[in-house]
Amino acid sequence: MAEKFHTDLEQLRKETLAMARFARNMLSDSLLALMNEDIDAAKEIVSRKMYIRDTTNALEERAYLLIAMNQPMAKDMRVIACTLKIIAGSERIGRYGKDIANMVKHIRGQPNFMQPLPIQHMADQVIAMIDDTLAAYETENLEKIAGLSFRDDAVDSLWHSIFRETLTFMMENPKTITRSTYYIMVARYLERSGDHACKMAENIHYMVTGERIEIK
Amino acid sequence: MSTEAIIQTENLNLWYGDSHALQSVSMVIPKNRVTALIGPSGCGKSTLLRCFNRLNDLIDHVKIDGKILLDKEDVQGPATDVVLLRKKVGMVFQKPNPFPKSIFENIAYGPRVHGVRDKNVLDSIVERSLKHAALYDEVKDRLHDSALGLSGGQQQRLCIARTLAVEPEVILMDEPCSALDPIATAKIENLIEMLKKEYTVIIVTHNMQQAARVSDYTGFMYLGKLIECGKTTQIFEHPKEELTENYITGRFG
Repeated sequence: MAEKFHTDLEQLRKETLAMARFARNMLSDSLLALMNEDIDAAKEIVSRKMYIRDTTNALEERAYLLIAMNQPMAKDMRVIACTLKIIAGSERIGRYGKDIANMVKHIRGQPNFMQPLPIQHMADQVIAMIDDTLAAYETENLEKIAGLSFRDDAVDSLWHSIFRETLTFMMENPKTITRSTYYIMVARYLERSGDHACKMAENIHYMVTGERIEIK
Repeated sequence: MSTEAIIQTENLNLWYGDSHALQSVSMVIPKNRVTALIGPSGCGKSTLLRCFNRLNDLIDHVKIDGKILLDKEDVQGPATDVVLLRKKVGMVFQKPNPFPKSIFENIAYGPRVHGVRDKNVLDSIVERSLKHAALYDEVKDRLHDSALGLSGGQQQRLCIARTLAVEPEVILMDEPCSALDPIATAKIENLIEMLKKEYTVIIVTHNMQQAARVSDYTGFMYLGKLIECGKTTQIFEHPKEELTENYITGRFG
């Protein structure tokens, strides 16, 4: 029985990782669609939300069943606890991707700013944080998430700077208010996605070592 | 461990003939707490338990060295009165083993052996012991019926009441629920929780969920050695030793 449980647990972990990477791609693709103002690509990203919703429910259900049927302990219990957090965090990241994709149609054709915002740069930072977090979940190599706290500070600074710059643009040229407002939301979603990566990383650290740390 | 120790072993070794059944076991049993001993069959849990009230004396070819201290006194010493020791350290076994006598007599037996003759005193000991074992309400109208007419779970609680009648300090339980159904098991587990207010309980169990539910401290044994001992929450959430981890996650045993 224990062998079947461990096989099932390993399978759950693999599928959770696949779902998490699917959600991560929704976020990175949505940024690409936003930068290119590509409405068709954005539509396709929005349609992926059904998969995220269904997979989240199915994976969670399987995790609960594994707990109910096997009363896992020690590392096994920590893997399931962490997996549930990875599922929840990834679902949020995927939904932010969908939300950003939804904005493309509203932004397209709106007057642009005098100079570009560092949105793509911020997105690259956040996506790299998510990638390293998921790699740590896969390999249990904690070095991947060792510097996450500093990287999250950098992302937070970008969010504040984009917010301030966007305000300036709006004051200088009220015609950019629509685009600016959406961009503030995009930056906010990216900042939140970085936080989700940190939260997932805390849980991965707990999964591997049994000790709790705080990444902020 | 922060609380006061009631039992302490130091470098305890035990041989059954040539077989080295306990190897340098040093552990502390805190007072008024529940300590669980877990480990695969034959790892020495029951042997260790039986050291605490010298039940191993009854087995031929047993050799023991090292120290077992109860209230800081050496249990193995020549000055130890074994009858008194077993009064202080009571035991409940895997299979309920009531005497083929009435419920009342089962409990009055121990106090009588220790010299209690007064009927009123015996009455109050029987009532108090049954209440402590959460059995009184179920049997108060048939105290003089045979104990063998009780259900398995009731018989086991009777055995616990019988142990409590001589006012022990420590209660040893060797797989006390393995012959019981889940409802009777739950009643014994609730009882263990109540007992620790006044007594120290040491329980051997194969059921790891039970160890996790009822105990404050857990010791994991393997091939005669105490591999790890600590707070139950720590042992079941993040054990320090890989062997413990592998055992409690069902990777062997």
